Amino acid sequence: MVGADRKTILGRLPYAGLDIESVETDSVRVEYSPNRPDFGTDFGIARALRGLLGKEAGLPRYETTPSGIAVSVDANLSQVRPYIACATATGLRLDDEDVRQVISLQEDLHNGLGRKRRTVAIGLHDLDAISPPLAYRAVTSEFRFVPLGARSASTVGQVLSKTPEGKSYGNSLPLRGPFPVITDSKGMVLSFPPVINGAATKVTARTRNIFIDVTGTDKQAGDDALAVLTTTMAEAGAAIGTVSIGRGKSGRITPDLSPRDLPLDMDLVRSSLGLDLTKKQMAQALGRSRLEVKGSRVLGARYRVDLLHPVDVAEEVALGYGTDRIGPIYPPSKQPGRFHPFQQFLDSASTVMAGSGMIELMTFELADAGSLYEKFGRASTSKIAVRDPRSIEHSLLRDALLPTMMAALSGNVKSDYPQRVFEVGRVYARSGGGVSEAWHLGCLVAHSNSNFSEAKMYLESVCRTLTGAEVSAREAEHWAFAAGRSASVGLEGAPLGSVGEVRPEALEAFGLNVPVSGLELDLSALYKRLK
Amino acid sequence: MLALKKGALYFDALVAETELKEDQIRRALQWLSSKKFVELVTETGDRVTSLVEETPELELVRRIQEAGGALPLEEAKRTFASSDEFSAAIGNARALGWVQIRTDGTVTRFVLGNLGDLELHQNLLARSFGKSVDIKSLGEKERALADRYVERGVMKKERSRLVWVKPTQLWKSSASGKNASTRDSGEPQKLMEKLTPEILASRSWKGLRLRPLDVEAKAPRFFPGRRHPVRDFINEVRETYISMGFTELDGSSVHPAFWNFDALFIPQDHPGREMQDTFYLEGLEDKKLRRSGVVANVASTHEDGWRTGSRGWRYHWRIEEARRLVLRTHNTVLTVKALSESKEKEARVFAVSKVYRNENLDYKHLAEFYQMDGIIVGEGLNVRHLMGFLQEFYKKLGMKDVKLWPTYFPYTEPSFEVVGYSDITKSWIELSGSGVFRPEVTLPLGVRVPVLAWGPGIERLMLMRYGLDDMRALYGGDLSWLRNRVEFASSQN
Repeated sequence: MVGADRKTILGRLPYAGLDIESVETDSVRVEYSPNRPDFGTDFGIARALRGLLGKEAGLPRYETTPSGIAVSVDANLSQVRPYIACATATGLRLDDEDVRQVISLQEDLHNGLGRKRRTVAIGLHDLDAISPPLAYRAVTSEFRFVPLGARSASTVGQVLSKTPEGKSYGNSLPLRGPFPVITDSKGMVLSFPPVINGAATKVTARTRNIFIDVTGTDKQAGDDALAVLTTTMAEAGAAIGTVSIGRGKSGRITPDLSPRDLPLDMDLVRSSLGLDLTKKQMAQALGRSRLEVKGSRVLGARYRVDLLHPVDVAEEVALGYGTDRIGPIYPPSKQPGRFHPFQQFLDSASTVMAGSGMIELMTFELADAGSLYEKFGRASTSKIAVRDPRSIEHSLLRDALLPTMMAALSGNVKSDYPQRVFEVGRVYARSGGGVSEAWHLGCLVAHSNSNFSEAKMYLESVCRTLTGAEVSAREAEHWAFAAGRSASVGLEGAPLGSVGEVRPEALEAFGLNVPVSGLELDLSALYKRLK
Repeated sequence: MLALKKGALYFDALVAETELKEDQIRRALQWLSSKKFVELVTETGDRVTSLVEETPELELVRRIQEAGGALPLEEAKRTFASSDEFSAAIGNARALGWVQIRTDGTVTRFVLGNLGDLELHQNLLARSFGKSVDIKSLGEKERALADRYVERGVMKKERSRLVWVKPTQLWKSSASGKNASTRDSGEPQKLMEKLTPEILASRSWKGLRLRPLDVEAKAPRFFPGRRHPVRDFINEVRETYISMGFTELDGSSVHPAFWNFDALFIPQDHPGREMQDTFYLEGLEDKKLRRSGVVANVASTHEDGWRTGSRGWRYHWRIEEARRLVLRTHNTVLTVKALSESKEKEARVFAVSKVYRNENLDYKHLAEFYQMDGIIVGEGLNVRHLMGFLQEFYKKLGMKDVKLWPTYFPYTEPSFEVVGYSDITKSWIELSGSGVFRPEVTLPLGVRVPVLAWGPGIERLMLMRYGLDDMRALYGGDLSWLRNRVEFASSQN
């Protein structure tokens, strides 16, 4: 397909923007970026590689012939799903692997350009089962047809409410209709976009001639998707036929395979790549990227949906030229670097605590309600939740360090005691309509004689060592600490943190069998007092 | 050693008798048993430990004694931390007959009753508070009392190993061990146990020898305090950046979607913005964000390219979508914000901080992890400088063979994936995304000079360095790993 040996191809794939995931004896698995849907099949990759390896250059051109098929468009769909574009691909000789690739390309187009079929949906049909002309028309929820995969007819309403496709893709349609369908001259249903095809025009491995419909809410995205699909099929050996859509002023012929163009901004190319290339060299490089220079413009095939801005031409020059041939230059620095003073402060807190004999923990900022609230028996009225978390373990933003640190201790009950741990981490609180963030120091001391005064000793010593501050304490209730063994600490009346002996209820809930005392200090507040 | 004159003793009793530290005695016994002077016999038995220094009833008695034998109820109540504790004190003290209640007129007072077994209680608690005591070493009455205390939760009882220390025949024949320590040297010499300030002041150490210890015995296990390996690695990265002339940024984790996505030319219907990948905060938005200034420039760039020369993404841009609060999914949000705030034509900034993705955790995915993003802003910068910088940067971090492969990101053009050759996996591994910011990103912010940008993760490099294969291990808080990992392993660098 490419006309080159295996080693040459493998060596070039990364420089075409394709990630090699794994290499087998007679195949290679690659990952492509969503901006290049034309890389969705072997055919599209081979087309690009033939350019990079110098086997073919410039714009690939595709012949089309009229298929004689016309599609009428119902004006009632203009507010629902206004755009439709169609094409035929005939004379295909696809093996199972080819069919699998075409279907996966269709899925990739649905998810990428098609935004989960909302913007663009594609239907593939057996052309020989269709009696033209076709109609893209609006129906009610009572309209009946046999959907793909079913044996008997259902109404549009039933398909929407009962089938998995209806539930996944029906939400882009208006609740009460009208609903779009594509029918042929005998009234047979090809498709109910973007939900499901009809059963009568199903494509199988024996299908040689295909009819493609693309419907959507964005004309350009739909035309782009159809261009990617038809040119891929042309690479696979199909003849592409055009279809006449609508009538009169709004009538048009699809697929639109006319090239797109961007200005060739030679200064931009040179300055962006740092290469002093002539126009001829640029044209040569662009040819290898399957683009073509025409005067002061650069033409790109319609399937190149990634070309947005003249700067995109620069990258195409780089690819055609070979990014491995662009020599690196180290840009020397003219200024000295500078640490952020607050980050240095946080780092110093860690140094002091480690120097006090403690092990540093780094726990997650997202936690579960059990650790954060329930195990301490505290109310969760001001919790900050993330939407639809994949895991309940990471569903709430922590407002303190002690809960996740306690959870860490509960995972270490088999480790030697005494256990003295600390963490310097970020915590969150609701503030006004939004969220405020602060850095805290948490510390837990677990051993059979752990007590209030040991924790307070660490708290006072870290404040003193970091800032020279002598903090004062007064008795205050705290959700983590036992009554009478719990104090709030502050500086000149401003609260900075808490210290105490962890409540026995919490020890029990976390499965800890030794007393634990601890502290939590607001380092952000302490730093502000310093300044 | 003299303590053993009386005969066999428990290890604990030996500790109590000699006032030496446990590990000192352990070392001494190891030596004595190696010389066959003593025999160590292990047996299991019960031990009790008092969890309190004083029970509430003992406290009440003490308060009454301090007050001269009678104490008004109201006054007594104030001295207790909680009313639960107070009522426990009254109940127990009355049941034991220690305290009686007298009311004359309006005042209710506590007075002392029969304090017969008070001392028994006090002694038991004093002996066992904070240290475990062998139950066999207690008298009959003490043992019964200890059992009651265990039931009440005042004491805890544990089954544990007890070590009997028994002097051997050899010990007895060598004059009760008098010469045990000098036996080897042959010439008797006066020994001292340890140097003390007094001995030093009087210089009485002259002519004395320190008793030889078994210096080969294992010392007690100790775990030094340590910083987290991720912090060490982050600091290594920070120092690398500083050495290359970068200024460090600090910023919040929560941002409006505008800065995380829109300002980076990521269209509002981009699959990456969906909830499966991004943590949106429930019910929270930045209401102050309006379509004016930079926000308006960005919005128009999305819609039709604005004045950037781009086609744009051609859709209707919505302020509501931009206002939603998200946990940043990359740190480029910090560098881009810094870019829009400072109008400097030349700058190098970086941030090593957390990013958040709505992922299920597995060996190579975390919901929170670190990235070390940086940008270089400057007239005349291009792709070659990006390549030169990244090769140098990774060389400093220990990756010698680094290549750039073209790839795609919505906000850079050209875009490159930085890959490094791993001697461990014998393959090229992804290190970072990188590229030159698109005009659609820089122009709306008012930046007219090229910006080189990259955003590498750190966990992959750390796994290689620590020989781990599961990212979760880095943040699992496993103390045995954090305590025992080797600071300078030979595989490092």
